[in-house]
Amino acid sequence: MILKSIELKNFRLHKDSVLTFSENLNFIVGGNGQGKTTILEAIYYMCTTKSLNQSPDIESVNFEEKFFEIKGQFEDLTKNRININFNSDVGKKAVLLDEKQIFRAADIIGKFPVVTLIQSDHEITQGSPGERRKFVDSIISQASETYLKIFIDYNKTLRQRSSLLNQIRETKNPSLYSQLDAWTSTLIKTGSEIIRHRIKFKNEFNEYVKNAYQKIMNTIETPDISYQTFTEIEDKNIEEEFAKELNKKKELELIRAKNLVGPHRDDFIFNVNNRELRRYGSQGQHKTFQIALRFAQFFYMKDTMGRVPIFLMDDIFGELDTYRAKKISEYLKEVGQSFITMTDFTNYSDLVKLENDKLIEVENGTVTYV
Amino acid sequence: MLIPEPLQLVIDELSKLPSIGKKTAQRLALHLLKSDKEMVKSLAKGLIDLKEKIQFCEVCFNISVANICEICTSQKRDRSKICVVEEASDIIAIERTNEFDGLYHVLGGVLSPLSGKGVEDLNIKELLKRFESNEVEEIILALNPDTEGETTSLYMAKLIKPLGLKVSRIARGLPIGGDLEFADDATIGRAVISRIDI
Repeated sequence: MILKSIELKNFRLHKDSVLTFSENLNFIVGGNGQGKTTILEAIYYMCTTKSLNQSPDIESVNFEEKFFEIKGQFEDLTKNRININFNSDVGKKAVLLDEKQIFRAADIIGKFPVVTLIQSDHEITQGSPGERRKFVDSIISQASETYLKIFIDYNKTLRQRSSLLNQIRETKNPSLYSQLDAWTSTLIKTGSEIIRHRIKFKNEFNEYVKNAYQKIMNTIETPDISYQTFTEIEDKNIEEEFAKELNKKKELELIRAKNLVGPHRDDFIFNVNNRELRRYGSQGQHKTFQIALRFAQFFYMKDTMGRVPIFLMDDIFGELDTYRAKKISEYLKEVGQSFITMTDFTNYSDLVKLENDKLIEVENGTVTYV
Repeated sequence: MLIPEPLQLVIDELSKLPSIGKKTAQRLALHLLKSDKEMVKSLAKGLIDLKEKIQFCEVCFNISVANICEICTSQKRDRSKICVVEEASDIIAIERTNEFDGLYHVLGGVLSPLSGKGVEDLNIKELLKRFESNEVEEIILALNPDTEGETTSLYMAKLIKPLGLKVSRIARGLPIGGDLEFADDATIGRAVISRIDI
């Protein structure tokens, strides 16, 4: 899938910008605060109808104006036009796909798959387990609607069950215990399906990560992701182990009125050469791992969805040594259409701009081609 | 323009109904105003009869004209089977199929701690009472296939099975006559997992 062009009106710094893109690499160059990342924002908006850093729509409106509009043209087997406009007086956003209004974000998500490599990615390797679960869940949900459905069901079960645990703690009503058993059964059933999906994903995804990491580093370092749930489990007896573990924590769950066992507490451990990255990794290994995860995501999604995602990279070269910058720019040739922001192109003598690639300069919200 | 009071009243009442907005309510009210007087009278009488003559069956909580509904009193129905549903409207849906000749029981909801629905709020005690006659042999759970419905089914099964009754749950899968390619992924996934031998 290729993004041919976009038009931005009053979108942050961009009062009126029209951009046409290369179907290979697009380098977006400019100083700080000139509006390079805004272009990635706009692309992300069109693919997901949401902002890249989850900020409210109104923050994307130019300071002097009252609305913004993003128009884009995608080309796959067919052409698609996307129009997103937001009016700060009404406080509402309208999304139009080929002139037809889209009311559910879910109808767009997955149609234009996108992979992002941004500053906040450091949280995936350095942050809490929740960040890693979010990373994994978003990939599996995009590839499998079944997983998304189970995931929603599981979260609903968690809320129902914790509400019931609360009621038991408050009222001590004995009739509530038999209901708890029923909710526990549902928790085990949906939770086990989540675990099974995650195990399968981890096994498949590991190959992609290994491949990506070694392409970037070209070393003998071997990355590996291991999956940590409530117990060491074999694929077969998840339900059994789940029930056992819940039984152990039964009293504690009632005291704290909280769901203490299940995949909502899982973690994914990233290792390099069998050493845990989070504890023993160097800054460089963290950065490389983060980049490898996104490249792995790109190729995983490409293979499982049969659609080539758009790759957005925000200022990744700033923190890399020339060796890895060179490796990544070589690796980029295997990817489809990408958008890469950077402060200065000439700093990277190893970066190769091919004839088909585009260099776009951004200064104070206006765009020039080089 | 000032709308005459009787008209405004009808518009306001109609717009309280589900899926009817202000404009639709106005169109309906004006349509009634223009309609034949007999037709409007019949509608008004129908609405009053609906509230005055229809009640809930004392046995199964189905909607009924008499104290006990037609299904519960019918001699043609198989009294050994009871199909448990969430709402009376589900009975209408199952009856349309002509595939079930047993009796029904309306639970009046499903378990949902978040909305404060527990066992006491459902017609479960009344169902257990029906087993006393020893006629019942099988319970078929036909609740919605969402988290709450599934959990309620599990609860009911656990409650009823020890009494020596056969308990089953209706199957989930693909719509008949529909194309596999048009079904949503989750339904197909479900159908593959719960495939049956032929």
